[in-house]
Amino acid sequence: MASVSEMYDVTWEEMRDKLRKWREDNHRNSEQIVDVGEELINEHASKLGDDIWIIYEQVMIAALDCSRDDLAWTCLQELKRQFPGSQRVKRLAGMRLEALEKYEDANKQYDSILQDDPTNTAARKRKISILKAQGKSAEAIRELNEYLEQFVGDQGAWHELSELYINEHDYGKAAFCLEELMMTNPHNHLYCEQYAEVKYTQGGLENLELSRKYFAQALKLNNRNMRALFGLYMSASHIAASPKVNATVEKANVKYATWATNQINRAYQLAGRGTKENKCSVKAVEEMLESITMS
Amino acid sequence: MAEPEFLLDSNIRLWVVLPIVFITFLVGVIRHYVSILLQSDKKLTLEQVSDSQVLIRSRILRENGKYIPKQSFLMRKFYFNNQEDGFFKNTKRKVVPPSPMTDPSMLTDMMKGNVTNVLPMILIGGWINWTFSGFVTTKVPFPLTLRFKPMLQQGIELLSLDASWVSSASWYFLNVFGLRSMYSLILGQDNGADQSRIMQEQMSGAAMAMPADTNKAFKAEWEALELTDHQWALENIEEELMSRELDLDGMFSKELPMGIF
Repeated sequence: MASVSEMYDVTWEEMRDKLRKWREDNHRNSEQIVDVGEELINEHASKLGDDIWIIYEQVMIAALDCSRDDLAWTCLQELKRQFPGSQRVKRLAGMRLEALEKYEDANKQYDSILQDDPTNTAARKRKISILKAQGKSAEAIRELNEYLEQFVGDQGAWHELSELYINEHDYGKAAFCLEELMMTNPHNHLYCEQYAEVKYTQGGLENLELSRKYFAQALKLNNRNMRALFGLYMSASHIAASPKVNATVEKANVKYATWATNQINRAYQLAGRGTKENKCSVKAVEEMLESITMS
Repeated sequence: MAEPEFLLDSNIRLWVVLPIVFITFLVGVIRHYVSILLQSDKKLTLEQVSDSQVLIRSRILRENGKYIPKQSFLMRKFYFNNQEDGFFKNTKRKVVPPSPMTDPSMLTDMMKGNVTNVLPMILIGGWINWTFSGFVTTKVPFPLTLRFKPMLQQGIELLSLDASWVSSASWYFLNVFGLRSMYSLILGQDNGADQSRIMQEQMSGAAMAMPADTNKAFKAEWEALELTDHQWALENIEEELMSRELDLDGMFSKELPMGIF
């Protein structure tokens, strides 16, 4: 089997820089990390210097994702040898136990970390993910709420909580979590879009109006968000079709829906230039939009 | 009366001015590394971490509250500022003012600070004064009054000498402050050799601003939040959005990268 460097004709420096880029961007492409990282560790360990420790950590987590327990064990041993008694390494050992589904042992590991340092957020979050892995979502939600009471600024945790609430169909509380995220990241169009979708799912005239506004905001932040464009169209047409609205509101919403339709058509025209398959999808979209407008 | 310009022996430049610059610089670098070695770990309690994050959340609510619906903003404002059980109204933290006497870690920190900064300055200043004494080192480019003479012309007993001519000790002190920007360049910001910053910290009281001020910070946040109103940024979003066509440029033209590299 050809090695990564042979297949792509890259040097070990490029591989190391690629790993660093994935680390900084928080990519979860575990199979690629394992391929590149394993070769770096096996062939070029001496040249990496002190970089190797963080690469061990990165590769170990990726190996746990890919069920490569052998590789994970090697990385963990090296890290334990270099940093005995480190809490970061203890957390990695706990993650390995989690991957092997030994949840009680993992919990004991995390509890010992928390005894030494009650402010350690990583161990607390791992305990919550154990609950989630075991399917105890109600408990996970409760623990996560307690965690967030003390660490209000943890954005990843807010997002995780919103996901848990959506799975439990508690859309009101999910919207609350997404509002926190929107406030801390006002320029992120994805949070606006997700918030709008939650509001749309909640239903009711007020929520539909809110969702239309937030779909529009997502579009304003990123003109190419197709999901938001479709969402804008759907919410506007639903409001227009609702029997409770007066004439002006209905007219405004029909205008919004028509505008959205035009933009969708434009986008599909742009995509459809050329190949035959795309021309079919353009036609399909037009027919769909016409059918929804009629009903 | 125009003073005749002195011409100093160029040996002074070679053997006094430059060595003092080097000495000051090297001492500063050594101070920086020594301060790193002697640094004690600052342990934060859970409550401090939590409080600082709450303050950040309140500030974000004030600044970016206009992006969430009015109802949500009011809900959060009520949670913080409510008369009966608002967070800022009710939470009182036990305040232990970090005076040097009661807090042992503060005491050792202060002592280490003094040892690494003030002591070398005094020692080396005195040594330079003793070694390079009896002659004029340099001239400051602006005129000074006679009051400065005893201060800046330590070893020189000339009554008629212009006060702009200074001795080597004052050149040393000039260097200590002047090389601060060099330290930032070479050692990065926030380095241990930065004397004037440390002296500023000592003057402003406790080096850590958080502990005693938690209650005051809460009160300040409460007031600021009371004054904040909700101006919904999405009021006319549809009109703004639909005033022009969507910019779909480049949406479908990019080649997707294949493989890892």
